[in-house]
Amino acid sequence: MIHFISKRLKHSLVLLFMASVVCFTLVVSAPGNVAVLIAELRGAVATPGYVEQVEEEIGLNKPLLMRYVDWLGDAVRGDFGISYRTGQDVSADLANRMLVTGILIAGSAVIATLISLALGFLGAFWPYKLPDRVSRGLALLGASTPTFFVGALMIYAFSVTFQLLPSFGFDGPKSWILPWLTIAVLPAAVLSRVVRVGLEEAMTSPFVLTAKSKGLGRTAILFREALPNITPIFINALGTQVGLMTATAIIVEPLFAWQGVGDYFLAGVRFRDFMVVQACLLIFLTFFIVVNLIVDLAVLLTDPRIRRQWS
Amino acid sequence: MNMLNPILARLNKMPRAALITIGLFVALGTFAPWLAPQDPSTQNLLDAGLGPSAAHWLGTDHLGRDTFSRLIIAANTSLVSVGSVLGVAMTIGILLGTIAGYHRGWVDDLLMRVVDVGLSVPSLIISLAVIGIVGPGYWTMVLALALAWWPMSGRISRAVAVSIMSKPHIEALRVLGASPWRIYFGHLLPGTIGSVMVYATADAGTAALAVATLSFLGLGIQPPTPEWGQMLVDALPYLESDPRQVLLPGFALTMAVIGFNTLGESIALNRIPKPLTRRMLAMRRAEVASWSKEKSDA
Repeated sequence: MIHFISKRLKHSLVLLFMASVVCFTLVVSAPGNVAVLIAELRGAVATPGYVEQVEEEIGLNKPLLMRYVDWLGDAVRGDFGISYRTGQDVSADLANRMLVTGILIAGSAVIATLISLALGFLGAFWPYKLPDRVSRGLALLGASTPTFFVGALMIYAFSVTFQLLPSFGFDGPKSWILPWLTIAVLPAAVLSRVVRVGLEEAMTSPFVLTAKSKGLGRTAILFREALPNITPIFINALGTQVGLMTATAIIVEPLFAWQGVGDYFLAGVRFRDFMVVQACLLIFLTFFIVVNLIVDLAVLLTDPRIRRQWS
Repeated sequence: MNMLNPILARLNKMPRAALITIGLFVALGTFAPWLAPQDPSTQNLLDAGLGPSAAHWLGTDHLGRDTFSRLIIAANTSLVSVGSVLGVAMTIGILLGTIAGYHRGWVDDLLMRVVDVGLSVPSLIISLAVIGIVGPGYWTMVLALALAWWPMSGRISRAVAVSIMSKPHIEALRVLGASPWRIYFGHLLPGTIGSVMVYATADAGTAALAVATLSFLGLGIQPPTPEWGQMLVDALPYLESDPRQVLLPGFALTMAVIGFNTLGESIALNRIPKPLTRRMLAMRRAEVASWSKEKSDA
């Protein structure tokens, strides 16, 4: 058990290191001179002398390896430098935004889990009957509708037509519902198929036959025998989907005027603000790695087969 | 006609609705410039925001442009972009995948590690990062999406290449003294391309979605070129007064994606008979068998 955890942690550290190298090289390889950008940002005319002075100041004239070490040291301490566009501290901007994105992703993960379990169980309880076909159709629809269109439909239905919920803004739980639902549609659709297929597979295994011969009802078998069996698969798929939610957050946050990390990243991309792009990218990659780590540990807890393998 | 029969038989086994949708999308995309009844970028502010009429079948947008024509031209934009994205991505993926499958060893390990990382990061984040570094533009978008898309075809072509390389005829070629070039270009590459193409069609839906998403974010297709995602974001401020302009491009895009996704699902379920290569091999075998029959007849 401890062996597994230490091995897994080491693996995560290697991945984190790789992620930091990718983020660093991406910005280093960007075309154009950063020093000129900064010099112009400060309102000075970018004379060769002044550009050289800026280069000296932010350490651009040091060797690449030294620059990487400096940058990594700062990043680990939570200092991502200043934005080239606004001149503000990137870390200060990010601190608030991470909470917003956190609320967004956590809420929609819960909603996606509930919807997908409901749809999946519906399908597994009446396989190949009407409920199964409906849940299958909904899954195809949910997986194929573009997220931005889902958002537009939500706003049209709940804010414009019925006027129940605010169409944008971040104030209070009432304004959180629409973004949560918008992001949850795609993962719910994908996960409902995972639940449905997993349950079907579990229902054909020998232990279910044993349970049937013991006289257990269909409901009892589904919840007591099949559900624990698909938990590890489900957690795994949920982890992937939570990782993907960072990408959908980039689409949904601007749509609902939320000041989150995705919105910040998009602004950075739009104005080619390399420091912002770099910081957000590093946060996204770290998030994937941490989510994967948590998923692996959770699978270890829920799957006795893997637990036995490692103890 | 005889030539067409096996193809028709194959198409018959695929979901009919998906084929019709995809056929419609491809036909509209290909012949869009001739099909569009009006110029998609002619503005007429006096006719702005109209409902459906004889002159404008699906009404006009906030600048008075004909929505029906714009929707059709957008199919063309989408088709061309998806084609070039998948083309570039498959070229990179097949080249690297076959090289990994041919060499094995550390080249294989390294490339597959890169592919693993590429597949675990959402494609939108990869392509946005590339656009953020290089700057927006049509070809940047194609390049950025291709960079996010190649790991998929890379992994498939590597798997196919490995299975081809372990076949007896490759060993026989080696014994005959065939050069690596001959094995690679004559036998490995043609064999891989066929199977990867089949999977790529299943990917076309998500690629179309990605193009639309980038355009929606204002970093893909730039106005005034009509594109579904960009039309949608264009009309979004007028959602309350004129929801039709938001809903129509959204539904068009969703239809296309559903078509490709259904096709992809049927490919994944292996409802499509064997990949091109294996079919060609079977035909060849049948031909060779018929030779010996002719010989014994004579």
